[in-house]
Amino acid sequence: MVINILNGLVYGGLLYILAVGLVLIFGLRRVVNFAHGSLFMVGGYVAFTVAAYSSFWVALPVSIVVLALLGVILDRFVFRPLQHEDPISTVLVTFGLLLVLEDVVKTIWGKDFLSLAAPPLLSGTVSIVGETFPVYRLMVIVVAVLVAAGLSLWLRFSRIGLYVRASSVDPVTTGMQGVDTDRVSAAVVAIGAGLAGLSGTIAAPLMALSPSMGSFILIDSFIVVVVGGLGSFSGAFIAALLIGQVHNFGIVYIPWAASLIPFLLMVAVLIWRPTGLAGGRA
Amino acid sequence: MTDIVAGAPTRPRRMGFLFALLAIGAAGCTLPAVVQSPLFLTLMTQAAINAVLATGVGFLVRQNGTVSFGHAAFFGLSAYATALLIKFGLPAEAAIILAVALPTLFALALGVVIVRITGVAFSMLTLAVAQAFHELVLKWRELANGDDGMAIAFPARVFGIDMATFQQPASMFLVCWVALIAVILGLWLLCRSRFGTLTLAIRENEERARYIGYRTVLPRAIIYAVSAAIAALAGLLFALYNGFVSPGTLHWSLSGEALIMAIIGGPRLVWGPALGGVIFFFIKNAAGDFTDHWPAVIGITLILVTVLLPRGVGGVLVWLGARLGGRRPS
Repeated sequence: MVINILNGLVYGGLLYILAVGLVLIFGLRRVVNFAHGSLFMVGGYVAFTVAAYSSFWVALPVSIVVLALLGVILDRFVFRPLQHEDPISTVLVTFGLLLVLEDVVKTIWGKDFLSLAAPPLLSGTVSIVGETFPVYRLMVIVVAVLVAAGLSLWLRFSRIGLYVRASSVDPVTTGMQGVDTDRVSAAVVAIGAGLAGLSGTIAAPLMALSPSMGSFILIDSFIVVVVGGLGSFSGAFIAALLIGQVHNFGIVYIPWAASLIPFLLMVAVLIWRPTGLAGGRA
Repeated sequence: MTDIVAGAPTRPRRMGFLFALLAIGAAGCTLPAVVQSPLFLTLMTQAAINAVLATGVGFLVRQNGTVSFGHAAFFGLSAYATALLIKFGLPAEAAIILAVALPTLFALALGVVIVRITGVAFSMLTLAVAQAFHELVLKWRELANGDDGMAIAFPARVFGIDMATFQQPASMFLVCWVALIAVILGLWLLCRSRFGTLTLAIRENEERARYIGYRTVLPRAIIYAVSAAIAALAGLLFALYNGFVSPGTLHWSLSGEALIMAIIGGPRLVWGPALGGVIFFFIKNAAGDFTDHWPAVIGITLILVTVLLPRGVGGVLVWLGARLGGRRPS
């Protein structure tokens, strides 16, 4: 039981790190990045290659930095030129990017499943209420908690965090106050993409790397973002924990219907509160 | 550059459209007599089935202003419903009717919930719904044989028609082509009706439509269901033609392809997505050497069309037609 809850927290943590990137980008650009799952995947593959030449501990920061740079490029050449268009245009373009990135990964790394080993330092297990649990999985939970804490402190106390919160409420007025929203946005998309890289890297030892790994986690992180309320950080946190738990319980107890459970939960939440748990802004 | 979904779509008024559609329909029916190549007819049959699906996706964009990333759900559900209902002993005729009716009713029920969500969140939801079904048939092996898919045990005759009619490209092309023309005609009439105008009004400004005194959720849910019914019809045609169904029919890449066809052709026109479907298949044919990189080819095509031709090829044709006709292009 405790082990199940912990495993749910692991998946919820990964989802949170990914979903909060979507929320950040949505706040600034009012668009949803359909290529976010692909960034997660590219993060995992970059870490795999770097780790093959060095170690996991080098791969982790390298993957985050590479993805953050990709994020800057994405913001500069996709989100910014399309910011005055219908948001659907950006969605379609990022959907096109998703197809391209999946193909690029398939071409570079092949279609076969690859696996990245957990670093030796964390490869042991600990005993929790009489059952063993991998240390690495505990670390994933810790990282998710640190990301959540770090982000909320950053948003609350830093100047750029203030700009981000202001732009999330109303980008036009924020711009009129003299905030360069394009620069804020470049930073925010870089952070969002970097978090996708972090999520992809720490997920790599938990799941096999494959060119389709981005799509299924993208769906779950979409459910998280919609259930939490599009644009809400705390909503995404709660929803990620919730979806992580029901996903895991579904896999353990009713495997054939596991994929339907997050979806049913989402429909239930939307009937109850059409704008999501945190509601209001969507 | 204009928006893909915003702005008034070209409203079909002229009877000229009707004659043009019927003429193109009749011309298409002569295709199997003119072209003997089975390979080409196979390709065109697939193109016609996908054009039906794209027409459903495009109609939702046109009439509700929302973009579905999950119409493969209705396509695949219809194909699976055909297979499973026949497997459970229903007569094939009943299975075929239910294969369109059940996904449509499901879409109506789902629509009442999800059409309240607008914009990008709607797109995310439709994607999640389709993917949930994809996972379900993949994981529930006892029901649908998982990744291996299942053959459909059609009887020798359906509705008194020899099954071979549906499985030979030459005759099946005619069936699909007539279905496509009938769907476009039906949608054209629907768009001209009072209901069509009402849903456009809701699309333009839901709040205002509500203030005038219209209910706004049900009409949009009905449009969603109509568009799902068209996708289900495409799924049924697919099932009849292939006699086989696999989880690929529910995969989001199919939803994405249908959407891309609609965008290429121009979703603001009733007939645009069908045109896009045909163009798409010609690109696919031309890209033959790059089939390994097919997803990248369509991804790049989607990006280029979205950025450079937001009204699609159909929109360009209408614009050219208006110029040549001496009217001021809109």
